[in-house]
Amino acid sequence: MKHHKLKISKIVDELMNYCFYMGSTHIHVDVQETEKYFKIYCKCNYKENSLKKVEKLVKLLNCTKHEEIEEYYWTLTGDCDVANELSLVGMMTDEAIVKYSEGQDLEITLYRYK
Amino acid sequence: MLALYGVLFILFGFLMDSPQRIFQGLRQIIVEPDFLITDYIGVGGLGATFVNAGLLTLMAVLLLYKLDIKVTGATISTVWIMAGFGLFGKNIFNIWFIMVGVWLYAKFQKDKFIKYVYIGLFGTSLAPMVTQIMFITNLSKWLSIPLGVVTGILIGFILPPLSAYLMRVHQGFNLYNIGFTAGIIGTIFVSVLKSYGLVLDTRMIWTTGNNWILGSFLCVLFFLMIGIGLYFNKASFKNYQKFFKYSGRLITDFVILEGFAPSLLNMGINGLMSTFYVLLIRGDLNGPTIGGIFTIVGFSAFGKHLGNMLPIFIGVFLGGLTKIWNVNDPAIVLAALFGTTLAPIAGEFGWKFGVLAGFLHSSVVLNVGFLHGGVNLYNNGFSGGIVAATLIPIIEAFKKEV
Repeated sequence: MKHHKLKISKIVDELMNYCFYMGSTHIHVDVQETEKYFKIYCKCNYKENSLKKVEKLVKLLNCTKHEEIEEYYWTLTGDCDVANELSLVGMMTDEAIVKYSEGQDLEITLYRYK
Repeated sequence: MLALYGVLFILFGFLMDSPQRIFQGLRQIIVEPDFLITDYIGVGGLGATFVNAGLLTLMAVLLLYKLDIKVTGATISTVWIMAGFGLFGKNIFNIWFIMVGVWLYAKFQKDKFIKYVYIGLFGTSLAPMVTQIMFITNLSKWLSIPLGVVTGILIGFILPPLSAYLMRVHQGFNLYNIGFTAGIIGTIFVSVLKSYGLVLDTRMIWTTGNNWILGSFLCVLFFLMIGIGLYFNKASFKNYQKFFKYSGRLITDFVILEGFAPSLLNMGINGLMSTFYVLLIRGDLNGPTIGGIFTIVGFSAFGKHLGNMLPIFIGVFLGGLTKIWNVNDPAIVLAALFGTTLAPIAGEFGWKFGVLAGFLHSSVVLNVGFLHGGVNLYNNGFSGGIVAATLIPIIEAFKKEV
């Protein structure tokens, strides 16, 4: 597979763009590579009254993996600041866990198996 | 469901012509050049044209089924684009060489073909290049046929990296990205061939006088689509309105985001609207225009809705009123239908920019075809890529920072 590490960078870019869109002022990103998978963890604060946007994020990240779509469209990830590609991130990852609650930071954990 | 429509095209073909005429027509479609604009109805007759489109649809469905691909908006758009261009440019013979090239690329990368299958199917937009070299050049057939095969395979081999790379140029605001890629590849290939003395003719096979029969057939197809959509959507338009919130920029997969039933409703409604547009401006329903309508129908599961398409139609229409051509001239009718490749611009930045995009597109599309000699069937995708790549940075530069 080509560009597999660049794809991880682009997913991180997309998450960062999303955090800024949510009004984050403090973003923490952690990327871990193991033998079986890449784990991308992102924690950020966000503006109040954005819960609906977070619910949309959950919906988009939970798109099932579609390798046939990924290979053609992956370069769009993280490349635009006027629109998001979160559903594409969902299609490029195997598992997405989003933790959020009123007044707490938003935590996103993504797994992309090799 | 997708296969059902393929079967319907074949049945319609056999209603229109005798089996013998269909067989002769298919043969004629294969050996004739396919570059723009070649209306297969004028080459092989109504029957053979729809049988060709139906067979291409079934081939695409079978391939995707064999690869165990889940049906999404991307799948639907791919299958309908095959059906649409099965009416003017793609046939049961000329598509395979590019597909083989893409398959070889997957093997070369030691990767699964499933990852590249959409690129392969979309990439058949350059299929006329194969037949152009095989049957039209003055070379001996012993040389021209292998040369055509090699060219098709080579195009397929370079398409995957190029199409993914060029996506960034327009940032997904041009829905027919392969058209943009194929336009650039076609331009380079044709330039090289012209350097060796190849002379490319212009071509305009455009049938008229079938509006009643073809209009009726399309209405049946799209009302059936709406009926099935309503049935699966529990006799309601639930979730259909949600489509209008999406810009349509790549990738906006309505099937994944909102479900199959409302997507089907959107497809049927947009198909009807496009058909009425052609009839309203007194255009002709034929292979190319129905190809444009089918492409809209397919991409109505993958980004297009009335909200983002109408500004493009208006832009092209305004161009027709103020420029030196008429709104129902063949190339302008096609510019309106295929110009909806720029629908995401209207969806993201508002209707005014959509109108501007349509207005510019109708001029640009008439001037880029000669670059690739008409061998890129998605000429509007090529033009759309140029317009989007130019407009987006300007719009973004002057847009208020949020």
